Amino acid sequence: MPTLRAWRWLAIPVLVVPVGWLLFTGLGRDPRDIASPLVGEPMPAFAGTSLEGQPLTSAELAGTPMVINFWAGWCLPACADEHPVLLDAAERHAGELQLVGVLYQDTPESARGFLARYGDGGWPTLLDGGGEVAVDYGVTGPPETFFVDGDGIVRARHIGPLTQQVMDDQLAALGLAS
Amino acid sequence: MIPTLGHVAVVVGLALALGAAAAFALAGARGDRALFGLGRRAMTVAFALAAVACAAMIISLLTHDFSVLYVARNNATTTPPFYSVISLWAALEGSILFWTLLASGWAALVLHRYRSRLPALMPWVGLTLALGVAFFFAVMVWPGDPFVRTTPVGSEGNGPNALLQNHPFMGLHPPLLYLGYTGLAVPFAFGVGALVSRRTDTEWLGVVRRWTLVPWIFLTAGIVAGAWWSYEVLGWGGYWAWDPVENAALLPWLTATAFIHSSMVAERRGTLRVWTHALVIATFWLTLLGTFLTRSGVVASVHSFTQSAIGPWFLAGLLLTLVAGLGLLVWRLPELGDVRPPGSLVSRETAFLFNNVLFLGVTFAVIFGTSAPLLWQAFASETVSFGAPWFNRVNVPIFLALLFLMGVGPALPWGGASWRTTRDRFALPVIGATIAVLASLALGLRQPAPVVTLGLAAFVVAIMAEEVVRGARVRVRARDEGGPQAAWRLATRNRRRYGGYAVHAGIAVMAVAVAISSTLAEESTAGLAPGDEMAVGAYTVRYDRLVVEPLAADPRVTETRAELTLSGPQSGPMAAALRDYPNSVAAIATPAVRTALGEDLYVTLLAGDAATGEVTLRVFVNPLVAWIWIGGGLVVLAAVFAIWPERRRVAVDVPIRAAAEPDTMVEAGA
Amino acid sequence: MSRLAVPLAAVALAVLVGLAAFVLVQPAAPRTAAEQAQRLAAGLRCPDCEALSVAESRTAAAAAIRAEIDEQLAAGRTPDEVRQSFVARYGEWILLEPADALAWWLPAIALGAGLAVLGGWLLVGRAAPPGSQPSGAISESDRRRARDEAEALDA
Repeated sequence: MPTLRAWRWLAIPVLVVPVGWLLFTGLGRDPRDIASPLVGEPMPAFAGTSLEGQPLTSAELAGTPMVINFWAGWCLPACADEHPVLLDAAERHAGELQLVGVLYQDTPESARGFLARYGDGGWPTLLDGGGEVAVDYGVTGPPETFFVDGDGIVRARHIGPLTQQVMDDQLAALGLAS
Repeated sequence: MIPTLGHVAVVVGLALALGAAAAFALAGARGDRALFGLGRRAMTVAFALAAVACAAMIISLLTHDFSVLYVARNNATTTPPFYSVISLWAALEGSILFWTLLASGWAALVLHRYRSRLPALMPWVGLTLALGVAFFFAVMVWPGDPFVRTTPVGSEGNGPNALLQNHPFMGLHPPLLYLGYTGLAVPFAFGVGALVSRRTDTEWLGVVRRWTLVPWIFLTAGIVAGAWWSYEVLGWGGYWAWDPVENAALLPWLTATAFIHSSMVAERRGTLRVWTHALVIATFWLTLLGTFLTRSGVVASVHSFTQSAIGPWFLAGLLLTLVAGLGLLVWRLPELGDVRPPGSLVSRETAFLFNNVLFLGVTFAVIFGTSAPLLWQAFASETVSFGAPWFNRVNVPIFLALLFLMGVGPALPWGGASWRTTRDRFALPVIGATIAVLASLALGLRQPAPVVTLGLAAFVVAIMAEEVVRGARVRVRARDEGGPQAAWRLATRNRRRYGGYAVHAGIAVMAVAVAISSTLAEESTAGLAPGDEMAVGAYTVRYDRLVVEPLAADPRVTETRAELTLSGPQSGPMAAALRDYPNSVAAIATPAVRTALGEDLYVTLLAGDAATGEVTLRVFVNPLVAWIWIGGGLVVLAAVFAIWPERRRVAVDVPIRAAAEPDTMVEAGA
Repeated sequence: MSRLAVPLAAVALAVLVGLAAFVLVQPAAPRTAAEQAQRLAAGLRCPDCEALSVAESRTAAAAAIRAEIDEQLAAGRTPDEVRQSFVARYGEWILLEPADALAWWLPAIALGAGLAVLGGWLLVGRAAPPGSQPSGAISESDRRRARDEAEALDA
């Protein structure tokens, strides 16, 4: 049938457009941009010891906007790539922003080595030997960062190394000028 | 200097591949044999250049040249030479280089083999292959340069992934897979050639048969080897997790298998030609899709840091290939004959048709499950991902239906069967299947999957055996040969058919082994102090002591080893260990596996405390796992048997006036 | 054809029944707390692995989750509540079996549709329109090839 022969060309856009769109949007979307169910909820509390050997609880840090950064000494190059962004944020927003690191599946020695090599910005790092804090936050692997506002509500989660752009955007969302 | 040489080789290779493509296009349009020869030689040189680039990378790895970023990321001064060499395919850029080597190798080989044959087809075959090779060279020239430098040059590198160094098998598994992937471009290129030159008769199918089966064999071996490695080395007790990388290898295998079957129908009966062309296009496209999905970061294991600039290039390549392949098929659709159903429903053609649909069903399910995160992100705001339980639930029924067809197809004649023929052919196998089912029920097996699998496997094996016996019986009567000799002679003179039957038998063996091992495994986890025992099945495992020491073979690695004594159907000392590699925080498991034909005793050390000597052990009794590997080996050997060149029969014309003997058939040596 | 209809229908029915049984068959309910914990762990994805369940994985994250499953079950929570608590922290993807019913039905519907189309085409489409090319005739490409080879012989 003549009309059937012409219709067959439709097969091309019918197949290519959806497949292309799906793959394209997949590429555009960061697969690590998984919405955390904790966003909008109060941050899970934690209590433990810091890398320096001091007790560290979420209660004592409450009141200021927080950046909770899960990292590890072995997580290279990602954790090393994002470290300057954290250092810069700590310096620029000293006093109005609280940075907290949580060590993910790593030893204190390895952590200290990392900080010695890439710079110690002075913020505390919580030791999470049993991994419970990571489970409480639904962490899938380092680096992963949570942005918490002054009222203790989780505002955003970022999976993967932080970029300056992301840091600026998130801090602005928390009400901190760049 | 050497990395620069490698980079230059890649650039020149790209130029040559593009030039060859242009030459082939002109040769095809004008029928110019000289241009074809030019293109062919260009592709041979491109292959040589790819080899040079690979050599440059290997030398850089062996000499620990950390000025090259790839070497700095995947190599260390302490890496042993063997692992330095196989780091060529350890990470993204290197594996693209390796892929290009193999792809250009296949292209050069095919073009050389048919340099003076098939003049209408070959220019288009060459064009397709050259464009494919050019694409991968282009990826290496722009977004994914394996030879890109890094400054400052460190004195030490990251070293290869610990999993890579743990077992020399990593020297075998990726090359097998890649040979399969890259080789599947060849049947695709012939399909394109057939469509463009409108030679859509059976000629290209006869040529393409071996060029499909060889990569298929490699791909099958690679997939089975990967499962074996997952089982023996990774320590989680299983062999297939339906993760994106595994699925990426399975998808082209599924459509390639469907294509092999569909092309039989197209070659013998001239029908199912649209299916056949569509399947070969799909197979090639899926080899690219698999690479895209797992290398571009689109479907993540949540922390795959492989998102790179290569993603958009692969996407473009994928879409272009889809448009071109689909467009060609649609354009030449009128050439591919009437699309009419087979004359008889109970015929081999119908069986093959159902075969195609079912394979497509599994392919669709695996694509759906693997790309589910993409789909859900596109339509819903949340992320969902599908794990092994979903894949098993969905795929097992389809595989069982395929198993059934695997028996039915060879036994049904072409063109149609009467009720009497059907009854005669299937009576014994159905009885055999019923006996198998009843036997398994009697032995206490209650789960539906293994029972059905056993029945169907018995069905398949019975049909295959019956085919051999029937054929051998004819020979015995006609030539007075002994039974086994007749069977052997029969098989070697019809390698294609009987090799195929043996492949089916091997698949049936694997199906039974998989069904039994995944449903009847026993497992137990326990925390033990030195001297404690744990019992699993008929075995008792006694934990003796924990030893922490550097590995003799590689002193950088610390091994925490639990020494055990096993008693039961197999007995003796065993040792399960965890190995700490310097650049990895997660210890690598080294499970202890005792294999017997009936079952495996498998012990993983989950945790070991050096201070207290307490360990957590997980012990599995996995029945029939060895038969998965045996079945896989059988499939590969049978397929090799099937494509082995037969002693050719050459017809010799003897002028009638001089003919003294009526026999004009002469057997020439192979 | 009518003689084959009965056995064909029987086969089709058997296949359908088998498929339905397969999809609907549920594994037996767990009896002990250890089995419950094992079943829960087998249904949760290990967060930092590739496609393994928490039960199968050896990573520290998986061990931490297993420990928490035991803790929660000991505190008296039901398996559904335990599962929900992990979804509340990790999101839906922590579940190995998607809760969304569509995920189960989509492939079944697709395959069923494919088989239905195939079956319908096989049974109905066999009434071929008259005047179509009988399969024994020489196809265009065969004709072309024959002509080319004849020309080559003359050359």
